[in-house]
Amino acid sequence: MSITEKILCSKSHEYILKNDDGTYTIGLTDYAVEQLGDIVYLELPEAGSDFKKGETFATVESVKAASEIYAPISFKVTEINESLADAPETLNEDCYEKGWLIKAEATGDITEQNDLMEYEDYKEEVE
Amino acid sequence: MTKETFLHDKHIALGARMVDFAGWHMPVQYTSIIEEHRTVRENVGVFDVSHMGEVFITGKDSLAFLQKIVPQDISKLAYEKAVYCQLPNKKGGLIDDLIIYKLGINLYLVICNAARIDEDLNWMVRNKKGLDVKIDNQSHNYSLLAVQGPKADELLRTMGLETQQESFTIKPAVICGIKLLISRTGYTGEDGYELLVENEFSEELWDKILKYGKAFNIKPIGLGARDTLRLEAALHLYGNDLDEDTTPVEAGLGWSISKDKQEDYNGKEIIMEQLKHGGRKKLIGLKMLDKGIARHGYEVYKKGERIGIVTSGGISPTLGENIALAYVKNDKDICTGSTVQVMIREKLHDAGVVKKPFICKKNRIKNTGE
Repeated sequence: MSITEKILCSKSHEYILKNDDGTYTIGLTDYAVEQLGDIVYLELPEAGSDFKKGETFATVESVKAASEIYAPISFKVTEINESLADAPETLNEDCYEKGWLIKAEATGDITEQNDLMEYEDYKEEVE
Repeated sequence: MTKETFLHDKHIALGARMVDFAGWHMPVQYTSIIEEHRTVRENVGVFDVSHMGEVFITGKDSLAFLQKIVPQDISKLAYEKAVYCQLPNKKGGLIDDLIIYKLGINLYLVICNAARIDEDLNWMVRNKKGLDVKIDNQSHNYSLLAVQGPKADELLRTMGLETQQESFTIKPAVICGIKLLISRTGYTGEDGYELLVENEFSEELWDKILKYGKAFNIKPIGLGARDTLRLEAALHLYGNDLDEDTTPVEAGLGWSISKDKQEDYNGKEIIMEQLKHGGRKKLIGLKMLDKGIARHGYEVYKKGERIGIVTSGGISPTLGENIALAYVKNDKDICTGSTVQVMIREKLHDAGVVKKPFICKKNRIKNTGE
């Protein structure tokens, strides 16, 4: 099963991937990084911080502009992808395996995921 | 309605990402802005800048007319030479910045910014009263291609360019059998040329440049890299770094202004006064010391006081640092070597005031205009 078959995507181009231990890996979709172009800087939250669904939890900067990244569900950050600090271009190369942004525990209800889409539906929606 | 250049289909075929810019549907990038940027710094790139305006000034009072509308002394402009100019209003604020070329006696070409053509033309018409001058907007008939980079000259030689040209000169030429006007100017901080060609030959010229350019690792370059290139060279972008509330002195363009020009021109009193005593604000170069990228519109602080605003900012692919142009109050303590702060997402980030341009001119041939 490829990774895109396991993720859920938001309209604002974030994805969540449920891990075996029940936490979530959160990142930006390939469509988003392609639209952004060369990614040159990321501002990620600190581990332990809480975000409500829809809040800005990170900022991604491409050559052209700064864009906000919104929480696709409510969560508490457990880990950030430290390797992105020195190599933000990893996101352009591989936004799912190596270029994930954070790992987090969900703090909201499962119904928060009702408006998230499976990858195939998401692709259809954005293209 | 969004306008398209004659090369629009070429951009689409090359897989460019298109954006609306100044009313035109233009390529912002073909592959990657950073890759395109490096291509121009290291080899050669070709840009479609056909959105820019071409206005011909003719008639026996052409010189008197130009003398009235720009602070530069056009009487000193020799045949086939170009000069960087500004178009001030009565208060010295800038309606546009321009390049003026002398093509003959009573024949001048003015290249202006796409977004400002209408304002420029209106202003010119208002200033021609009583003068025997014709203002002929030919923007719709010409395409403009920029070939920029250290290999630009060599590439054009292989395409049949025979004339030897200094920086800021324009000459008629034949390139691969296509008649055009070729000018050794650009907006990248590199050596290079701009080729003015009638629309019907633009596609053929574009294709030939890419074909002959293969041997020089040429790439088509979008507006994204055009912006990062010009920012490294600290070249002003109208609408960001220049506007109707900013004088050329405040913009750091005092070097371009004739100090001994006799004729009166719009805004002369204010501009001459500011040349002596400085303006209300000044344009400075910034290099971010903290992580974070300064962008257009971000505020600049010093010791907790708001002192100015970033007008252009981004990454410098050449330096691997984050750079910006900012207007700050004209205070001698805000000088090269001092530290200020840029407000990025509600946090202050240290930035050093540095000399402009941000990159050295090793690849540039001597610019007689500067």
